[in-house]
Amino acid sequence: MRKPLLALLPFLVSASFAASDQVQFNRDIRPIIADNCFHCHGPDPGSRKAGLRLDTEAGFFAARMNKDGKEEPATIIKGNPAKSSLFARISSTDQDEIMPPPKEHKTLKPDQIALIKHWIEQGAPWQPHWSLIAPTQPALPQPADAAWSKNPIDRFIGSKLAAAGLKPAPEADAHALIRRISLDVTGLPPSPAILAKYLPKNGDHLIDPQIGQLIDELMAQPVYGEHRARYWLDAARYSDTHGLHFDAYREMWAYRDWVVKAYNRNQPFDQFTVEQLAGDLLPKPTDEQLIATGLQRCNITTNEGGTIAEENLANYAADRVQTMGWVFLGLTTNCAQCHDHKFDPFTQKDYYSMAAFFRNTTQGALDGNVKDGNGPVLVMPADADRARWVGLPDEIAGAKTKVQASRTAARPEFTTWIAKVKPQDLNADFPAKDLIARLALNEGKGVPAGTTVNGEPVTWKADGKLGPAPSFKKGSNLVIGDAGNFDTKKPFSVGAWIRPTKVEGNGAIVARMDDPKFAQGWDFFQAGKNLSVYIISKWPDDALQVTTTRNPLKAGTWQNVFVTYDGSGKAAGVKFYVDGVLAESKGTIDKLKTASQSTTPTRIGQRSQSEFFEGDIQDVLLYGRMLSVTDVMTISKVGPMQLLLASAKLDQKQKDLAFEYYLNSRHEGFKLSTVSLAKLEGELTAIKTRSPVTHIQKEKMDSKAMANILMRGAYDKPGAQVEAEIPAVLGKLPADAPRNRLGLARWLMSDTNTLTARVTVNRMWQEIFGTGLVKTSEDFGIMGSPPTHPELLDWLALDFRAHGWDMKRFYKQLLTSAAYRQAAVITPEKLEKDRDNALLSRGPRFRMDAEMIRDYALAASGTLSPRMGGPGTYPYQPENIWEVVGMHNMSYKQDTGENLYRRTIYNFWKRMAAPASLDIFNAPSREASCVRRDRTNTPLQALVTMNDPQYVEASRLLAQHTLQVEGDDNSRLNAAATRLLCRPLKANELPILTASLAQLRKHYGANAADADALLKVGDSKSDLKLPKTELAAWTMVCSQLMNLDEVLNK
Amino acid sequence: MSILHEWNTLQTRRRFFGNGANVLGAAALASLIGKSTAQAAPGAIPTHFAPKAKRVIYLHMVGGPSQLDLFDHKPKMKEMFDKDLPPSIRNGQRLTTMTSGQARFPIAPSKFNFAQYGQCGMWMNSELLPYLSKHADEICWMRSMNTEAINHEPAICAMQTGNQVAGRPCIGSWASYGLGSENDNLPNFVVLIATPTNRDQEQAISSRLWSSGYLPSEHAGVSFRSKGDPILFINNPPGVPNDLRKQTIDGINQLNRLNYESVGDPETHTRIRQYEMAFRMQASVPELTDLSKEPESTFKLYGEEAKKSGSFANSVLMARRLAERGVRFTQIYLNNWDHHGNLTGRMGSQCKDIDQPCHALIEDLKQRGMFDDTLIIWGGEFGRTIYSQGGLTKDNYGRDHHPRCFTMWMAGGGSKGGQIYGETDDFSYNIVKDPLHISDFHATIMHLMGYNHERMTYKFQGLDQKLTGVLPAKVIKALIA
Repeated sequence: MRKPLLALLPFLVSASFAASDQVQFNRDIRPIIADNCFHCHGPDPGSRKAGLRLDTEAGFFAARMNKDGKEEPATIIKGNPAKSSLFARISSTDQDEIMPPPKEHKTLKPDQIALIKHWIEQGAPWQPHWSLIAPTQPALPQPADAAWSKNPIDRFIGSKLAAAGLKPAPEADAHALIRRISLDVTGLPPSPAILAKYLPKNGDHLIDPQIGQLIDELMAQPVYGEHRARYWLDAARYSDTHGLHFDAYREMWAYRDWVVKAYNRNQPFDQFTVEQLAGDLLPKPTDEQLIATGLQRCNITTNEGGTIAEENLANYAADRVQTMGWVFLGLTTNCAQCHDHKFDPFTQKDYYSMAAFFRNTTQGALDGNVKDGNGPVLVMPADADRARWVGLPDEIAGAKTKVQASRTAARPEFTTWIAKVKPQDLNADFPAKDLIARLALNEGKGVPAGTTVNGEPVTWKADGKLGPAPSFKKGSNLVIGDAGNFDTKKPFSVGAWIRPTKVEGNGAIVARMDDPKFAQGWDFFQAGKNLSVYIISKWPDDALQVTTTRNPLKAGTWQNVFVTYDGSGKAAGVKFYVDGVLAESKGTIDKLKTASQSTTPTRIGQRSQSEFFEGDIQDVLLYGRMLSVTDVMTISKVGPMQLLLASAKLDQKQKDLAFEYYLNSRHEGFKLSTVSLAKLEGELTAIKTRSPVTHIQKEKMDSKAMANILMRGAYDKPGAQVEAEIPAVLGKLPADAPRNRLGLARWLMSDTNTLTARVTVNRMWQEIFGTGLVKTSEDFGIMGSPPTHPELLDWLALDFRAHGWDMKRFYKQLLTSAAYRQAAVITPEKLEKDRDNALLSRGPRFRMDAEMIRDYALAASGTLSPRMGGPGTYPYQPENIWEVVGMHNMSYKQDTGENLYRRTIYNFWKRMAAPASLDIFNAPSREASCVRRDRTNTPLQALVTMNDPQYVEASRLLAQHTLQVEGDDNSRLNAAATRLLCRPLKANELPILTASLAQLRKHYGANAADADALLKVGDSKSDLKLPKTELAAWTMVCSQLMNLDEVLNK
Repeated sequence: MSILHEWNTLQTRRRFFGNGANVLGAAALASLIGKSTAQAAPGAIPTHFAPKAKRVIYLHMVGGPSQLDLFDHKPKMKEMFDKDLPPSIRNGQRLTTMTSGQARFPIAPSKFNFAQYGQCGMWMNSELLPYLSKHADEICWMRSMNTEAINHEPAICAMQTGNQVAGRPCIGSWASYGLGSENDNLPNFVVLIATPTNRDQEQAISSRLWSSGYLPSEHAGVSFRSKGDPILFINNPPGVPNDLRKQTIDGINQLNRLNYESVGDPETHTRIRQYEMAFRMQASVPELTDLSKEPESTFKLYGEEAKKSGSFANSVLMARRLAERGVRFTQIYLNNWDHHGNLTGRMGSQCKDIDQPCHALIEDLKQRGMFDDTLIIWGGEFGRTIYSQGGLTKDNYGRDHHPRCFTMWMAGGGSKGGQIYGETDDFSYNIVKDPLHISDFHATIMHLMGYNHERMTYKFQGLDQKLTGVLPAKVIKALIA
């Protein structure tokens, strides 16, 4: 509160400092200097003026060289403001002399100047920044009201309240306290069973053992871990997509589930940290420890074409340093990416020394828009697959050895073979069975054999694949005649070498298709970058079409293309090959019914009248059967190999090609061993394909963790190389520590680090009390807020560390304090003296986070699914939210059934469009780490809880429960209220709801269609046994209750 | 003055669209220290001088339109068809990896004819922009825009927020933060994503572009949608007519008032008002989005396309309606300008999407007397290269990204009509006169809104953050009427 008071109400400040008060540098002076002077006299030498720095002790008290190289006396002479140039400058009236200079638009207030004077008079005692001083065990203050204190926390809170002339609020009513504890431990309202078990009769307060037992019971439930994990996942910037450009699916929900489990097994925070930062560097890491490293793979990545690898990698490391700084150090290290930090003693070298820890990893620069991000992942096979998954790598290695052995064995035989073989010897390799026609198209002049010219004379090109090749375009094509007179329901295969001029257009490579007769027949077709086949008896209802899916065709390149068909009449019976390799394809039309044959002649380069191929075609093959994979592979190799063998002398590369041909066509041992290797590899791929994966971090083992300082943060301006190291102001890694993430993680958790324990307890405090003791929970630096209760913060940090970083114990300590148990009632006096509740003059009361609001509605209406973990869920979301972002590559497919009612932590999180109803309640986008959410209060939020089908349906489901309650309207209203407010209605509340119910009954009684429409909202069916008018009216009453401020607040 | 009084002041001054519990409104500060904000709307940051633009309609052309084929006429290129771009011109400029592997950089002169328009003599594509060219003298042409970013994501981010790395507030958020709201029932900063007729080469658009960054989240853009509810969850569930909604909100608020009386949390009081506001929005948005009351003359002006929900013409018409109702900043994104290939094939439909609607917007605002204080901005995140990417013929070519120079334009809102600012070399590759960096452009927009960009700051992470960032930026006076 000090800062806003200074800014807003200067008279209060001057009044509060009598001449006798001891001025404290950290509390009173540093904020003024930092705000007004650091910009030119701070740690950044780049912007430092006159060689003067005011961020160090020496800067104030040592003589210095000015810019002209002359020695100047210290700017402060202890005890003597009159001789201190700093004081002279800030109190000057001369526009050329006064500091800060007028052009900076910053002005010191008279009381600030007086305070500095006072400090100098007192001898100008200096302190390093508070968070860089190791915490020391403070004495427990003696509070005015010792009976109030439940534990040491209260001693600090109580004494501060007393100093402000405030008394704590009375203890909250039992129902309110049970609700508050339940929300803080589990994120959910108390179940009716918990309420029944713990709520004392007669309006008594809970006694201490009951509170302890309640907390223990709730902490033992798995919903505890889900609630805690949610906060951590904001800090970890967890999401289910990559974040940039396509923002495609990224699979790493196992990390999210790991966090939940870690909280539930109460993993100590030090292990929790070490495993996430360096699990992969631990000795023999377990799968769980590898999954934990996902923290470092949660950063946003891109696959945008044209981006530069080095720049992407620099950005990824920068994000990890920023996250590390905010989450573990409470330092805005990111400010030192381009220059030394303006305010904190943190240099650009420090920044890149930190970045070095995170750059020595195997992750690539582009995520490939694929779920494994083209980087290190852990494959998590199902139990049934696990044994094979573990065994296969050895078997594959064995099979590779065998393949290698047969290669070696084949060498001498090959040498003999190659010496004698003639090109024509390979003719026998060519599959001859059911070959109907082979049109070589390599004459180089005139009309190619086996064809007639239709249209312009043939143009020959010298650079064919197998000799000169004819060129095709609209107006020039070749007619084969009757060969290829295939039945639409009998097997056939068609292939050729092709070189399309462009890959934007369409055209038939080979076709026997009768355009005017409903396109009867077949064709083998270029569809842009893809191959396609049409097999048609009558277009479009008696036809099939299959097309490749991965753009295999390239303009200006010779490729061997094949289509084979099993005669089944089904799209599934068609296969495509490019250069001998199977190409993925998809049936787009699958409606062939009748068998037929076309009567138009077979043509190369077009259908009977349309679809002109543009480019070159050679060696057209027509087979009356479905060729095998091996057949097609052989065909793609034989022609080129014959050409090669015809050349005078083979160079090494050609010899290698010939050896491969020999092995594959003539060496039985090699063929057998490769088949078994392929089978094993196929098995491995199949398991990998069907198993979930999760992103993990992996260190490069052959290099040291280093980074280059990037000038102005630009990837293309590398400066000096630095080794991984912690920021100098925080010390140095111990000499025997590994200079990698493990060394970093262990240092973080060591006693020599003054920050992490404080930063962590502050964040946990913030979860419970709404605001941290340090309000800027990501910034414990000079420009962050100073702690409201510095001694308490230190006490908590030391206590947390001393008790083995035990998180459940820590939270329990907060929840059992008297400070926490206070009623949330605000008096005018407290509003005046403690507006933001920074002094804890009352219990915490603030709007719940987005996830809690949704979970609350689900829990209160009895529909929350207890299922934990697994892939993200897709609850209700308005249309067109995903579809308009990114590259329109993802569309939202809403779940049905149980997944609509899972806990919100499992919502699929797309970074470019975070779940809409959560976003409105200030959920972060998860594009960057977030340790402190905004908490706004807007009309858009009202629209969510009133109109989102999730809430309308929950209201209806709650109404259904309510209508099962025996009794009159009042008892039912009380039952609904108890589910939502954990208390019966007050005397002045009942009439309002009774009146509302009457209005609603009247409306729905008179408007049956409205009742029908309302009851249809949601995936679940409404209870038909209940009268519609009643159910509709009660649905709206429950919706009213669900929208109450008391429900939306903790 | 007591803190209680301060709090009350705050409550009355707080804008309807949200208020963080812990955000101390600058207006409260202003009132406490006794500064008057005579011209400003409630809740606004006092302007530093009289604002010329009271509202902004920003038409962002996603993908980067080709300046070479629309506004930056380079007749000498005709004779250099398929010749290599001289290395002295390229001068080490970094390339995207899409063309950095190209063996050569053949010059692709624009296929389109150009002509001069208006007194100012602006050269424009004379085939594709028949409507827009009528306004040459009302438009302030900026032919020397430049940026550092070379790929879409960082470049759009830089154009909208002043920084290539996501996380800073966008211009719309700054406008909302500064100027405050002029209306009681609509958001202050609205975003519309228009659907282009052709969608072959679309680029990513994400909500981070209208994020409020470190500014209070109430200043984030509210996306109006063309399909489904125009504002998320604005419509009552089926079976709940408006009068019934009013009744239920009254009931909620009665109960909340009782709660406020017993607990005394000021946030409860705020929530009561937000529910009232929610209802007013529900009541006013259908009227806003209902174009059936627009006279036929409107559709004559904007074209029939304006009847099609989500089209650019429709979005522009919606922007006029929003401006009329006091919305400060309307941002429209139109995709598909990323013409790496088949530029000439695709340019026609892109231009058809924008030509008549841009003309209509200018005309319409003029007719309503709003042109002078409404700033229209048109432009992409970067320009395109003179050399062709992929195949090159006289009739067709593609162009890669080019950050070194590109053309944008402004109209109304105090911008200087008929001004042609900046000049590029014969290749439209380098700027030869009056470079206009995007930061200078940002500084100039802030100036038109009445703010000195150096002083319009927000404290975050210990720095006085501003739209124009840490490097020096300047207001370009020549762009101001």
